[in-house]
Amino acid sequence: MRSITKLSLVVAALVLTGTALQAQTNNAAITATASVQTPINVVGALPLSFGNVFPGVNKAVPATDLANGGRFDVTGQASAPVTLSFTLPATLSTGGGATMPIVSYTGMHAALATQVGGVAFAPAVGTTTPLSGTGALFVWVGAQVQPATNQVAGVYTGSITMTVVY
Amino acid sequence: MKRGLWFAIGVMLLGVPLAAQGKPLTVTGIRGVTFGAILPGVPRVVLRTDPANSGQLDIKGPKGNVLLSFVLPLTMTGPNGALMPLTFGSGDAGYSATQAIGSQVGFDPKQSFTATIPNNGRASVFIGATANAATNQGAGAYTGTIILNVTILP
Repeated sequence: MRSITKLSLVVAALVLTGTALQAQTNNAAITATASVQTPINVVGALPLSFGNVFPGVNKAVPATDLANGGRFDVTGQASAPVTLSFTLPATLSTGGGATMPIVSYTGMHAALATQVGGVAFAPAVGTTTPLSGTGALFVWVGAQVQPATNQVAGVYTGSITMTVVY
Repeated sequence: MKRGLWFAIGVMLLGVPLAAQGKPLTVTGIRGVTFGAILPGVPRVVLRTDPANSGQLDIKGPKGNVLLSFVLPLTMTGPNGALMPLTFGSGDAGYSATQAIGSQVGFDPKQSFTATIPNNGRASVFIGATANAATNQGAGAYTGTIILNVTILP
C-alpha cells in the first residue's frame, strides 16, 4: 500500500512536470531583405591634353573641348543622384622635377557623350547630379596652364582624380 | 492498495486536462525587416518604430515573465554568395505589451531581455537594423534570417 502511494505520487509528479515543461519555450523567424542597386563604376576615358605649350604663353583647354578635354565615364543605378568630387593637381611636372602651374579648372557633365544638354560646374567645388535614365553620366574637365617664360622644355604630366558616390 | 492504484490512475487522467488549461506559448513571425532598394556605399537604417519596414513577431502565452533572446545574422546573403554586413544597435529591439508599435520598451537585441506577458496573453516584439552595403556591393537581392526565442520564466 505504501509503495503504491509512492508510485502514485511519482506518477503525479511526472505527469504534472512533464506537461508543464512542454510549453516552456518557443521561437519564430523572420527575414531581413534588401535589394542592392547597381554599384558605381568610373572610367577615365580621355586625358586632358594641352598639346604643345610655349614658355610664357598661357594655354587653356575648355571642358567643352571634346577632343582635348579630360573625360570620365560613369555608370550606376539609373536616375540615382551622385556626388562628384575631385582631387586636382596645382601643377604639372616632369620626371626631372620641373613644374608648370595649372591656374584654373572648368567642368561639364552630361547624360550623353556628345555633351548635348551638358551642365557646367566648378571641379574645385564638385557637384551633385543624377545619373541618366540608363545609369550613365559623362564628365569633362578642362584647365589652363601657365608656363613660365623660362619653362623647361619637356613632357609635363599630372593626375586628376574624380570620386563618385551615391 | 486498490485505493492507491486508483489514485495513481486518477492523477494520470487528471494531468492531461489540467495541463491543457494553460495557454500554450506561441511565437509568430508577422513581418520581416525590409530595407528595400539600397545604393552601394550608402548605409540603410530601419528603425524598430518603422511601421512598414521594421520586423515584428507576435507572442501568445500565459501571463507572466518571459525571456526574449534573438539569434541575429551578421550578414545578409546575396547573389553568388555575396555578403552584406547587417548590424543591430543597442536599442534596435522593442517589446510592446499592447502590441502597439508606438508603445515599445527598447532593448538590445544582442542581449537577453525579460518581459512580462500581460493578462490577455498577447505581446509583440519589434526589431530594426542597419544594412551596410559596400561601395562595390554586388547588385541583387539579399536576405538574412532573424530568430526570436521566447522562454517562460518560472
